Amino acid sequence: MDSHHDHDARLVVRLDGVRKEYGTATALDGVSLAIRAGEAVAVMGPSGCGKSTLLNMIAGLDRPTTGTAEVCGRDLGAMTETALALFRRRNIGMVFQFFNLIDDLPALDNAALAAQLTGVPARQARDRALELFDELGIADRRDAYPSALSGGERQRVAVARALMNRPALLLADEPTGALDSRSGEQVMDLLIDLNQIGQTLLLVTHDAGLATRCAGRLVELADGRVVAEHTLEHTA
Amino acid sequence: MTESVFPEARGGAGPLAGAGAVWQVARAGVRRRRVQTAVVGIVVFCSTVSVVVALGLLESVSAPFDRAFAAQRGAHLVAVYDPAKAPASAPARPVPAVTAASGPFAQATVTIPDTVEHLPPGPLTVVGRAGPGGPVDRLDLWSGRWPARPGEIVLDRPPNPHWSYLLGVRFTVPERPQGFTVVGLASSLSRSAESWVTPAQAEELRPSAAQMLYRLGGAGTDADVRRAADAITAALPAGSLLGTQSYLAVKRDHGRTASAFLPFLAGFGVLGLVVAVIIVANVVGGAVVAGFRHIGMLKALGFTPNQVVAVYLAMILVPASAGAALGTVVGGLAARPLLDDIGLSVFNVALSPWVYAAALAGMTAVVTLAALVPALRAHRMPAAPAISAGGGQPSGRGRRVHRLLSGARLPRPVSLGLGLPFARPARTALTLAAVVLGAATVTLAAGLSGTMTAYGAAAQRVGHVHTVIHVGQARFRETPPRHGDAGIETLLRGLPGTVYVTADAWIDLHVVGQPQPIMGRFLRGDSATLGETIVEGRWLEGPGEMVASPAFLEQQGLRVGDRLTLSLGRARTQATVVGVTMSGEPDLIHADWRTLTALSPSAKATQYEVRLAPDADLEAYHAAVRAADPGLRPVAKSRTDQNAVTVIGFASLLTVLLGTVAALGVFNTVVLTTRERRRDLGTLKSVGMTPRQVTVMMVTSMAALGAAGGLLGVPVGVAAHRVVVPAMARAADIVMPAFMIEVWSAPLLVPLALAGVVIAVLGAYVPARSAARLTIATVLRGE
Ligand SMILES: Nc1ncnc2c1ncn2[C@@H]1O[C@H](COP(=O)(O)OP(=O)(O)OP(=O)(O)O)[C@@H](O)[C@H]1O
Ligand SMILES: [Mg+2]
Repeated sequence: MDSHHDHDARLVVRLDGVRKEYGTATALDGVSLAIRAGEAVAVMGPSGCGKSTLLNMIAGLDRPTTGTAEVCGRDLGAMTETALALFRRRNIGMVFQFFNLIDDLPALDNAALAAQLTGVPARQARDRALELFDELGIADRRDAYPSALSGGERQRVAVARALMNRPALLLADEPTGALDSRSGEQVMDLLIDLNQIGQTLLLVTHDAGLATRCAGRLVELADGRVVAEHTLEHTA
Repeated sequence: MTESVFPEARGGAGPLAGAGAVWQVARAGVRRRRVQTAVVGIVVFCSTVSVVVALGLLESVSAPFDRAFAAQRGAHLVAVYDPAKAPASAPARPVPAVTAASGPFAQATVTIPDTVEHLPPGPLTVVGRAGPGGPVDRLDLWSGRWPARPGEIVLDRPPNPHWSYLLGVRFTVPERPQGFTVVGLASSLSRSAESWVTPAQAEELRPSAAQMLYRLGGAGTDADVRRAADAITAALPAGSLLGTQSYLAVKRDHGRTASAFLPFLAGFGVLGLVVAVIIVANVVGGAVVAGFRHIGMLKALGFTPNQVVAVYLAMILVPASAGAALGTVVGGLAARPLLDDIGLSVFNVALSPWVYAAALAGMTAVVTLAALVPALRAHRMPAAPAISAGGGQPSGRGRRVHRLLSGARLPRPVSLGLGLPFARPARTALTLAAVVLGAATVTLAAGLSGTMTAYGAAAQRVGHVHTVIHVGQARFRETPPRHGDAGIETLLRGLPGTVYVTADAWIDLHVVGQPQPIMGRFLRGDSATLGETIVEGRWLEGPGEMVASPAFLEQQGLRVGDRLTLSLGRARTQATVVGVTMSGEPDLIHADWRTLTALSPSAKATQYEVRLAPDADLEAYHAAVRAADPGLRPVAKSRTDQNAVTVIGFASLLTVLLGTVAALGVFNTVVLTTRERRRDLGTLKSVGMTPRQVTVMMVTSMAALGAAGGLLGVPVGVAAHRVVVPAMARAADIVMPAFMIEVWSAPLLVPLALAGVVIAVLGAYVPARSAARLTIATVLRGE
């Protein structure tokens, strides 16, 4: 692994010996991982092995107990909460299994909000969100509130929101977990398309088939450790 | 899609960049969370109304007489000179104690004949003044206008619309056969005259005296006023001073009625403030606690911690400021008429602008702080646990419900409902706290009202004395009585309708060895029927006995059974303390008439307190008194205590407001809790509960909380009452007899305890039923 990032300065993620403890429980036990720009990496492993924790570390939603997490060249452990928020809104897009949309806002505003946070005026933010909605095929649902959307529609709104600021890194935590297989396929295809036009992608999934289809590299986690890594050959 | 791998190189927008996003999320929150928005708005509204009323109350009770007196620049000393002996300019000569003087004004007396309809017959003091203003004794000309020409007169009446019928009344007096027209009504706290005319008119009435009004530098005690009076008259020819009147005598008159309730009103004011603050904090805190998942999502999205705090503050402050603004206006409108009544129709009580400013700014500050404390917790909280903690994942909660279900055999909605509060202890604690606080508040408020009613009746001696017969005094240019002291008593006892008569003399005297004089009230006749409440020892029974207020005994270091020596001039006599009154001035003692005889054998009573037979007609009785001796001036004591009615109206308003706020606090917490459990309810329905069972279960769980809260809250309220009332009484130098503190009875307490259950059930029923009616799928996929 070291040989990778020694000669490649365009590392988007560099984890070095990251440990995370919750009380006496160890969620991550010395994970090191590097992701280059444009890569698509899938993380797999049994329930409770630390996949979500790993993603939270990379997104700056939580801090390592020891070890360093560097994303886009910044050491997240050294940043304040506010700096992390500013960093996150510009560099990271996140998609969750249970969508985490804001119930109070209609679909389009949910997505537009991400751009507004970076100082884009509301009108322009909505225009950009609408572009994404068009591409994702949910433009006709833009005024619906999240509770009125289907799971697949909600996840596509969440993807649109994640892409609003053209993030350097798109993180997806079981994005198809709550969806039926058809909606799941659609979301996966979407992620593959994104990766093909250069979007760096880190994906957590249980579905080995999906993982091999869309990722160029597969990381296996067990008990908080990386137990295997495979590079996948495909010409999709 | 990624044009740059490290897009932050584009140049960062500062933390302020997302202000629009903050506002958008906050606005959506306000619009979509209608219950929370409405509850915050209404609670802040009710609280602000009670704060305005309470602050207005505190302001006016802190020193109603002093404030009104200062506002009128009242005369500390009214001196009446013989115009023949004292040259007009002489009394105004500078004396160090005098800070302002006004006059001389010509003073005359006219006699209202029995034939005049709207005015009490007898002598009427008339003073000539060019206008109501001046450096001293600025009259409150609250109706009509000042006299402009002879024949016009302004009467001294308290500012109460009740008297307005007097405007335009015409009457003739022997001293001016052309008569007078009442053109205005004014109130003088200095009681400098009973009526005013133009100076020219006064001269025409052949004035018998000249009046000077003085404001003094130091006028705290009788001695101060006396010293100033001596200094003023020292330079004048002997015999030129006809008489003086100290404002302290006037103040004491007011004190007896108004000040009796002051500690209670102050207590209510403070209670209103404290409860408003706690409940606003509870409601606002609850809203933030309920929003933890929302907060986590905002953070994951890139909201900075400060922006998250801003969203929550805005979401609360929008309805809160609307409530505070409206509450200030309504509070001002509600307080006005009530405060006018507190002035006891004697003087106007104004609500100063600071009350409004303090209520508005204070409520906003309280709400901000209340929201800030939990919002700051959200500020520190890392985003990851927040997302999963309150999260949509059914795992944690679902599992807990399933475990519950396997423990209790279905269908058992009631036993399940009873178990629910233990599933989430923090939320349960918050709900319980809201119910306890609500029940305790209402209990304490009801108790205060009860104590106040009992105290008011005792302090006002309602029903004990119906009329007080004053004796006209020559030095005030009043007609002196034809009968002597004993003769008047005999006369009164002989009148039909008289039941009891007590003769009173109020005399300045000394405790031997002390420079400050005290006031002695010496009683003859049926003094045991005056209705004075004794809290320790007993009432006067014989010569050489005295009774005093707790304040007096404390100041003198005396107890029941101790003796002290009283002196009047050269005469001395001993008196034993046999009892303690409930309240009273620190310089007032009550003693038997024979104690006065020992000091001054020729002393006469200055007033007679009469209790009438139940069927006696007061007006007819007064007419009979005046007819028997024109030098007697009867003044009715009201049978129903108007002050008590007013003050209890005030207390009731505050109790209702506080009760509403407390009820809303409980309602809000219960609604939030039930909302949070909607997913549990969906889960329960998915395993086979009917909508009805779900509703019953939810309502049962909240009713159990309500009952527990009520059972805890009522004793807390009673205990608070036991602590607060004696403390309040001590601060006001009152000793409360036990019956005024033990105002509780089962018929009062049971509904109070049940109120918690009713509110909790109402708060749970609406959201539980709507959740129970939703299709399972909607509940489970929602949020
Ligand atoms: N906030 C927390 N507090 C305490 N323990 C936690 C917390 N978050 C995660 N854990 C624990 O850390 C371990 C890893 O959790 P994590 O959520 O990363 O697992 P996961 O691999 O995402 O599992 P799943 O596939 O079920 O989502 C688990 O044992 C979990 O119980
Ligand atoms: Mg996970």
